[in-house]
Amino acid sequence: MENLSPTKIGLKIPDNPDDIQSYIFRVLQELGKYITLTQELERKVKLILIELITNSIKHSTDPDALLQLTINHPKLTIEKIDIGLQIVFEGAEQIPFKEINKTLQVSFSENNSHDIKVTDHYKFKFLDSFKDDISINNFPEHFGFFIITVASDSFEYEHDPESKKNTFIVQVNL
Amino acid sequence: MKLTKEYIDNILVIVIEDKEANLSKAEQFKELMLQEVESGARNLIISFKNVEYLDSSFLGALVAVLKKLLPLNGKLVITELNDDILNLFTLTRLDKIFTLKSTLQTSLETF
Repeated sequence: MENLSPTKIGLKIPDNPDDIQSYIFRVLQELGKYITLTQELERKVKLILIELITNSIKHSTDPDALLQLTINHPKLTIEKIDIGLQIVFEGAEQIPFKEINKTLQVSFSENNSHDIKVTDHYKFKFLDSFKDDISINNFPEHFGFFIITVASDSFEYEHDPESKKNTFIVQVNL
Repeated sequence: MKLTKEYIDNILVIVIEDKEANLSKAEQFKELMLQEVESGARNLIISFKNVEYLDSSFLGALVAVLKKLLPLNGKLVITELNDDILNLFTLTRLDKIFTLKSTLQTSLETF
């Protein structure tokens, strides 16, 4: 019998890449207490977790970085939360955005560009950058965000300037 | 990073021995592969038969190797992927960019 009320699971993120696989196994075990994922969905959730955790290990300076899963049928929300500086893009456009509902191409680093839609001054949604044109020439060498984008139904980033909280918000339809 | 390498005719077959192809190994793997290309390797098969998962860092290394090989008229075949990893290639549409084969034998036959 699946739980119909929102359920939250919070887990501290590991700091060693070689611990990722066992960590994901633990997350899936926790999720399995509340919901049954299809094989396709479980594969997508694994990919999302791998990339969120890898991103945290690479970029977060917060030793208390947290993964929070919320089961609220028909959605599973996976959030990676840490305290620190907001995302900084290469180029002039930065958070806070001046214009909302605008689609931009931003660059997180060399070989790491992404299309985004600005949804608030401190929030944006990742878009599928290679929907229409995929070739080795335009494919970046850093694409963790791209993997999360295509594995999920919605992928957003939000920064809270007061608390300095950075949240990556991933939603998957169950 | 544990790799085994063997030449079959003029094809360099690399087997990744680690279970995890991730952030901690990606840069070293990329450097080793680019060194092989610099040393003259043009036909490469990379086997993932022992790999349980790979992340975007390692995929990025594969993209870098392919980008290096193509202008040199080289060829890269990725083989023996488990279902999770194959799913990653399909989902990201990298299966349209890389040559993926299920076995070493079918990989060798593409050259």
